[in-house]
Amino acid sequence: MALFAVVQAAFLLTLLSFRTYQSEVLSEPLPWTPESLEVSINSAQQCLYLQWRVHNLTHHQELKMVFQIEISRIETSNVIWVENYSIPVTWNQVLHWSWESKLPLECVTHFVRIRSLVADASIPEPRFWSNWSSWEEVDAQKSLGQDPLFVFPKDKLVEEGSNVTICYVSRSPESNISCAMEDVPIHGKRLSPNVSVFILNDVRFIRETGTNIYCLNPSNMSGIILYVSKVLEEPKDFSCETQDLKSLNCTWDPGHDTTLRHQSSQRYTLFESFSGKTKLCEHKKWCHWQVAPDSQETYNLTLTAENQLRRRSVSILFNLTHRVHPMKPFNVFLKSISATNATMTWKVHPVGNYSTLLCQVALHGEGKVIQHNVSVKVKSQYFLSELEPVTEYVTRVRCAAANHFWKWSEWIGQTFTTLEAAPSEAPDVWRNVKSVLGSHIVTLFWRPLSKSHAHGKILFYNVVIENLDKPSSVKLLSIPAPANGTELTLDQCSYQIHVTANNSVGTSPASIIVISRDPGNKNVEEGRIQGTEDGFSLSWKPQSGDVIGYVVDWYPQDPRCQLQWKNLDPNTTSTVIRSDAFRPGIRYNFRIYEISTERIAYLLEKKTGYAQELAPSENPQVAVSNLTSHSFSLSWKDYSTDSQSSFIQGYHVYLKPKEEQCHPGFEKVVLSDDSVCCQYKIDNPEQKTFVVENLQPESFYEFLVTPYTSVGEGPHDAFTKVTIPDEYSHVLIRIILPMIFCLLLLMVLCYLTSQWMKEKCYPDIPDPYKSSVLSLIKYKENHHPTIMNVNDCVPDAIEVVNKLEGSKIQFLGARKSLTEMEFTKPAYLYLLPTENYSGPGPCICFENFTYNQAASDSGSCGHVPVLLKTPPSQLALLTSPENLLKTLEQNYVNSSGGSPAGETSLNYVSQLASHMSGDKDSLPTNPPGPALCSEYRTQMAVSLGLASPSPSENSSLSSVTLLDQGEPRR
Amino acid sequence: MDFRAGDSWGMLACLCTVLWHLPAVPALNRTGDPGPGPSIQKTYDLTRYLEHQLRSLAGTYLNYLGPPFNEPDFNPPRLGAETLPRATVNLEVWRSLNDKLRLTQNYEAYSHLLCHLRGLNRQAAAAELRRSLAHFCTSVQGLLGSIAGVMAALGYPLPQPLPGTEPTWAPGPAHSDFLQKMDDFWLLKELQTWLWRSAKDFNRLKKKIQPPAAAVTLHLEAHGF
Repeated sequence: MALFAVVQAAFLLTLLSFRTYQSEVLSEPLPWTPESLEVSINSAQQCLYLQWRVHNLTHHQELKMVFQIEISRIETSNVIWVENYSIPVTWNQVLHWSWESKLPLECVTHFVRIRSLVADASIPEPRFWSNWSSWEEVDAQKSLGQDPLFVFPKDKLVEEGSNVTICYVSRSPESNISCAMEDVPIHGKRLSPNVSVFILNDVRFIRETGTNIYCLNPSNMSGIILYVSKVLEEPKDFSCETQDLKSLNCTWDPGHDTTLRHQSSQRYTLFESFSGKTKLCEHKKWCHWQVAPDSQETYNLTLTAENQLRRRSVSILFNLTHRVHPMKPFNVFLKSISATNATMTWKVHPVGNYSTLLCQVALHGEGKVIQHNVSVKVKSQYFLSELEPVTEYVTRVRCAAANHFWKWSEWIGQTFTTLEAAPSEAPDVWRNVKSVLGSHIVTLFWRPLSKSHAHGKILFYNVVIENLDKPSSVKLLSIPAPANGTELTLDQCSYQIHVTANNSVGTSPASIIVISRDPGNKNVEEGRIQGTEDGFSLSWKPQSGDVIGYVVDWYPQDPRCQLQWKNLDPNTTSTVIRSDAFRPGIRYNFRIYEISTERIAYLLEKKTGYAQELAPSENPQVAVSNLTSHSFSLSWKDYSTDSQSSFIQGYHVYLKPKEEQCHPGFEKVVLSDDSVCCQYKIDNPEQKTFVVENLQPESFYEFLVTPYTSVGEGPHDAFTKVTIPDEYSHVLIRIILPMIFCLLLLMVLCYLTSQWMKEKCYPDIPDPYKSSVLSLIKYKENHHPTIMNVNDCVPDAIEVVNKLEGSKIQFLGARKSLTEMEFTKPAYLYLLPTENYSGPGPCICFENFTYNQAASDSGSCGHVPVLLKTPPSQLALLTSPENLLKTLEQNYVNSSGGSPAGETSLNYVSQLASHMSGDKDSLPTNPPGPALCSEYRTQMAVSLGLASPSPSENSSLSSVTLLDQGEPRR
Repeated sequence: MDFRAGDSWGMLACLCTVLWHLPAVPALNRTGDPGPGPSIQKTYDLTRYLEHQLRSLAGTYLNYLGPPFNEPDFNPPRLGAETLPRATVNLEVWRSLNDKLRLTQNYEAYSHLLCHLRGLNRQAAAAELRRSLAHFCTSVQGLLGSIAGVMAALGYPLPQPLPGTEPTWAPGPAHSDFLQKMDDFWLLKELQTWLWRSAKDFNRLKKKIQPPAAAVTLHLEAHGF
């Protein structure tokens, strides 16, 4: 038992000692373990920086080691990154390693640990990993301020197309935080109660001030700017050239601009590999490179574009002399300019020693360009020949390196105009000859010379008329331009006419026409021709062999239009006349002439036709004659068949039938308006009369004459109406006319014997004034030959003038109240002056105002009685009825203040007014006495204002006037 | 209201006191001289013009910053922008201000705002925007001169900047670019509010300095005492 206990104790001790040994062996640290691990962060770059050392290395020992690094996020167990980092390690070396995090490091806590393995060949296997270092915690949130809300990463710069991870960190676990990019909400993944992560894929450039990303809750807001740069492009079209072999001008296309606010822009540098020189370019599209004076010929230039995210470069290798782009020439002059030649001079800028340049001269004129190449040292000239006179030219020159062509310089040019020259061609002349009374009227036509032939401004045309029969007789006419023809009257001789055009320099060759004394073939039949869209096609048969050409001339029927012509070769026997001037419905006459060797024109053929025939637009004016009870004649002789819009083939006479049957010769047709007519066809266009027969007397006919052509007939507009007389009307006329004559004769006889008849049947009533008795009375009684006394008259009219009983009406003229006056007489106002009134006498007065003045002037009428008195001073104003009425109204108004309404209202003037005394300033005190004057007056009532006379009122004032009492009116 | 004899006497005494002191009011104590009235009117007109000018400039600039700064209903909490003078003030406080204090506050505010505006101009990348900002800065400078003119006319001294508080614009990312944009936003907003407040200030001052004709007559009579 004791032994068992000893053995057991010894076993236990052995076991204990073994375990102790074992633990001592295992716990001994391996040499070359990573130590002194330090972790730091770079927030902007989102990088973790690790540094550590390896101890126990001997002084000169170098071992190849592998370090395994683990990175966890949020908690150590959440390992997100494991990397083996191999590096040779020396004594006392500080090792570095960095790791870039996609998630901003501020978002969550990171943990890092490291272990090592010796992978050096000098150390025999087996190899073991060292122990892990302890976890190093990286918590960037600790360094943040006290703000309640953060968004990371701050102000990050990325390229377009990148994926960006952002997060917000809230100090308090809130759920109502919303985030947005620009104005678009974004949704993320919650990493912890305080942290959410958003992944933005393929971000795009929006603006140079960056993309705004922000998170907010009701009380707080935080945001970041994400700078999204466009991807830096490789410079395109990089090229360098020199103008003077002293400096190089390099240009390129930079592509997108990657400039952002607060972020430096892309920059460009030039690097020359042979010389090793570098130049930072100031501009984004071009850069100057100073050529070294050591005559370096070959250049290898590298252009590097660089921004914070990317670097791009492009290189070119070239020989300097192969990249010469000369400056444009200068001092370009033109000298010795003539009508056809000029000399151009210019200078070029020297290009180092390679001063031979190739210059190109281009001449622009008359729509053409002519180019010539010239080799130039410094100064050069070029002779421009074969120019057109009076033409504006532009000449330009540019140069390039002659030996190694690279690029042309810019053009430099001058404009010049060549001088005038004599016209080079004879004017194209034609003529029209008319024989009138034994002489020839020759009308010459010519076309203006083209610019290329005129060689300047044509000033005048010379026409030389040479009488061939009398060689010494030459006549010169000078016709100033721009005339294009003239008219000559020549006798029956033969003439040769020369026409030349002249400008300031000289005379053109002459155009010659011969007018023969023989007028030529007058018996040429006129043929018809049909025009087409292409024109008029003409052909002819040559008559004689010796011709120098043919001429076709034409003119429209309208005489105002000018003759046109076309010259044709002698071998031609047909042509097509085209002209934009041809109009449909216009008749054109063509004549074909052959020109003999003597330059005499002989008429070959005459044609007439229409470019396009049109149906007649008007019908002839038809006259009706010979109207009988059975027939009438129609005539339209004034209708011209030649001046119509197509060839007239005949006429249609339409007659509207009275019966079912048409007259013989007529056909029944249906017109376009569905009416039925009888039609008679006249085939001869020159037959312009027609007799309509077999008509019924006393009937009514309608007819229409319209021309017909190949393209239709005239309009069926207005039918003319004809009434056929009855059969006996002419007999009746023969009876009625003599009867009328007899009646007239009887009436004349009656008139001549009327005096006699009157005396016999109706003798005159004797005129008492003319009675012989008067002469006897004159001597016996007084000198007033009165026939009839007024007192004997029976009054037929009463003038109610006033009714004033106790009222006080002030008369302006009299300045008396009416009550003070004895109103037994009417109150009259003498409107017309009566001073010259010399007593009674035969007079006729018309109350009508229109005649007042006349009557007054005659002095035969003394007064016009009116109710209210107007002062004499006002009389002169009352020369017109308007004034009179006005005055009356005024007076009425003036007086009405003192007179009750209704008392003075109506003036009644008798037809025969009583004669009043001539005192104009006083109211008449006497009633009209026995009037010796027979006055005829129109009755007149002057209503003044509102008042009207009351017939019931007792009028104490009345005027009694007389009608002509039995005296006959004259 | 119940006026008694004592009240009437009191009012009379008050009126007499006012009349007695009228000649002492600097703004009114200028015979023959048009006084500060026209310059106050001009300053008022300038503030209205600047309000109009700022409306278009702020639209352009906030578009340049992008959403949410250019959204019409964007009303963020005031982050940063502590150095900007606040235009908002309690109504009672504003009423209690005297003319001198009012003008002094205006002058100081525009001095600061102008300084910040120049910083804004320096940062702007778009040439057209820079031109508009430069033009606006010139106008604000003019307003500042105008306020100084009014103060001088009224006999008030210009405020002296305290050492160390002189407004300066310091470039550099003191805080994030987002906060910088927020500062820009607040700068424009404060400017708008200040211009509105200044218009009210100068309108009030204008009415005060240019009393109705009857009051002027009273003032002239007061000289005869």
